[in-house]
Amino acid sequence: MKVPLRSLARRTPPAAALALLALFILGPLAWLLLWAFAGTWTYPALLPQHWSLDWWGEVFSAPQLWRSIELSLFFSPVVTAVSAVVCLPAAYAFARSSFPLRRSFLVLLFSTNAFPKIGLYLAIAGLFYSLHIMGSAVGVVLIQLLGTIVFMVWIPAAAFAGVPPALEEAARDAGAGRVRTFLWVTLPVAAPGIFVAMVLAFLASFDEAQGTLLVGAPNYVTMPTQMYSLVNNYPPQAAAVFALLLSVPSVALMLLVRRHVMGGALARGFQLH
Amino acid sequence: MELPRSAGPGRAPQPAPRVGARRATVRGRLSARVGPLALALPPIALVLVFTGFPILIAVTYTLGHLGGYNSAISAIGLHQYSAGHRWATFAAYRNVLGDPDFQADVVITIWVTAVSTLSVVVIAWVVALYARFSSSWAARLLSSLSVVPLFVPVVIASYAFLTFWGPGGFVKTMAHAAGLPGFPVLSYTMDGVTLAEIWVNIPFAVLMLTSGLRNVPDSLVEAARDAGAGLGATVRQVLLPLNMLPTVIAMTFTAISVIGSYTVPYLVGPSAPNMLGVEAADTFSAFNQPQQGEVMAMVLFGLAALLAVPYLWATWATNKRSVR
Repeated sequence: MKVPLRSLARRTPPAAALALLALFILGPLAWLLLWAFAGTWTYPALLPQHWSLDWWGEVFSAPQLWRSIELSLFFSPVVTAVSAVVCLPAAYAFARSSFPLRRSFLVLLFSTNAFPKIGLYLAIAGLFYSLHIMGSAVGVVLIQLLGTIVFMVWIPAAAFAGVPPALEEAARDAGAGRVRTFLWVTLPVAAPGIFVAMVLAFLASFDEAQGTLLVGAPNYVTMPTQMYSLVNNYPPQAAAVFALLLSVPSVALMLLVRRHVMGGALARGFQLH
Repeated sequence: MELPRSAGPGRAPQPAPRVGARRATVRGRLSARVGPLALALPPIALVLVFTGFPILIAVTYTLGHLGGYNSAISAIGLHQYSAGHRWATFAAYRNVLGDPDFQADVVITIWVTAVSTLSVVVIAWVVALYARFSSSWAARLLSSLSVVPLFVPVVIASYAFLTFWGPGGFVKTMAHAAGLPGFPVLSYTMDGVTLAEIWVNIPFAVLMLTSGLRNVPDSLVEAARDAGAGLGATVRQVLLPLNMLPTVIAMTFTAISVIGSYTVPYLVGPSAPNMLGVEAADTFSAFNQPQQGEVMAMVLFGLAALLAVPYLWATWATNKRSVR
């Protein structure tokens, strides 16, 4: 893309804008990182007066914080697995077949993007009361599951559609049945797309806070939900340490699928045409 | 992995190879159509049962129907309005909409949504343009930087924002060092909420517009340049018209995300007036007035429906053009 406007783009003064944007985006995260290792830090010092790892010990020895780590590590894999079981066959069907109502189904699926989250959660909570799943694990799984459906269908569907039909035909000609062809040809080729969708589903579940707070609290307080009370009731060091712990899976997993997300896998999920 | 453009499930489906050829019977053809339908059904059913259905139920609840699926919630709620034997009552709506505090929340919600959405789209356009036409390290750095918020859970982002812009935070510290003791503190203010919403929503718009600009062929841009168009004219007359749909999508979904947000205004914002999301959730659970809380949810749905109009129009216009 090194073409005509390049010279023009270079003439604009990007350095100052770049520095400002970097400060705007990275600044808060860097500041939080410092807090996690601060012993005492009082205004207006630019850096902590003394450093300490004490708060890491404090966080690890608080039973309710451990409990929320356990809960997060329980719910996210469960939600990811359920989402895969529910959505992957549908993704294959959308990619490879024509069937009645196909178009309407897609519109319906995408229309869930158009609801403001908190409004949707409140409406769902109303129903959960009569189903007696408010404050239950089932309720938490369901509310987190809803946030994964669109891309768990969409991204794998694109991956399935990208498997060259000639490849499958060759396997069939060699005598493989439909199931065998699917398991040994289609699935391996589509695997990277499915993997990306599963990672994003895991993260959506792991980071989901507002729905889980509404439906799960006070019985099921996952890590992001715990942050709400940490922010208000603990010293900044403890909240910072916990925030760092919570960020580790997000950052690691996002780095893993960074290329696909930057390549537009996420953006395409909103283009209905 | 770059996926082929034809791969989008929204396009004309490729028929399942061979199935029709192998089983030419009526029964075979039927199962070839019903089978996929059955496979596609589970996520659709989930969405219908846990999104569509609860919204319908919630609508009847806000209109004063306290029985049926609403009996569990109406048994615990306070200050509810019942339609009795009439088909509906708008008393709950009158109650909420007539409240001056709620009106202040609506105004502030619309303001924050408008300012943060416009800022996000402008920033995203600049980043996307720069990434499209420069191959310098600065351009690469810029596009990497702008997706960083995607890596950070919203709760953490909000908290980080609070400490950075707060009374003892970096911004205040720098202002103090620069001899500006009166520099404003943005924690617990709506300006802080607006900035934090911008922070959270930049990545999606950048991804949307970057992928949109990538689809504009170099030849078109060169042609505009040859005709004597500068950067401004090229953007206005070539890039913007060709990227109307991604721009509208970025705008619509950023606005919907901001208007329905809870975590950012809850953590960064003041106690009142605050955005509708916080007010609705508080009314629903903290004040134990679920009917009023759901009325507010309906107001949010209404606002989101208005926001979705340009999106539907742009999608329709684009489809019409591509059919021709």
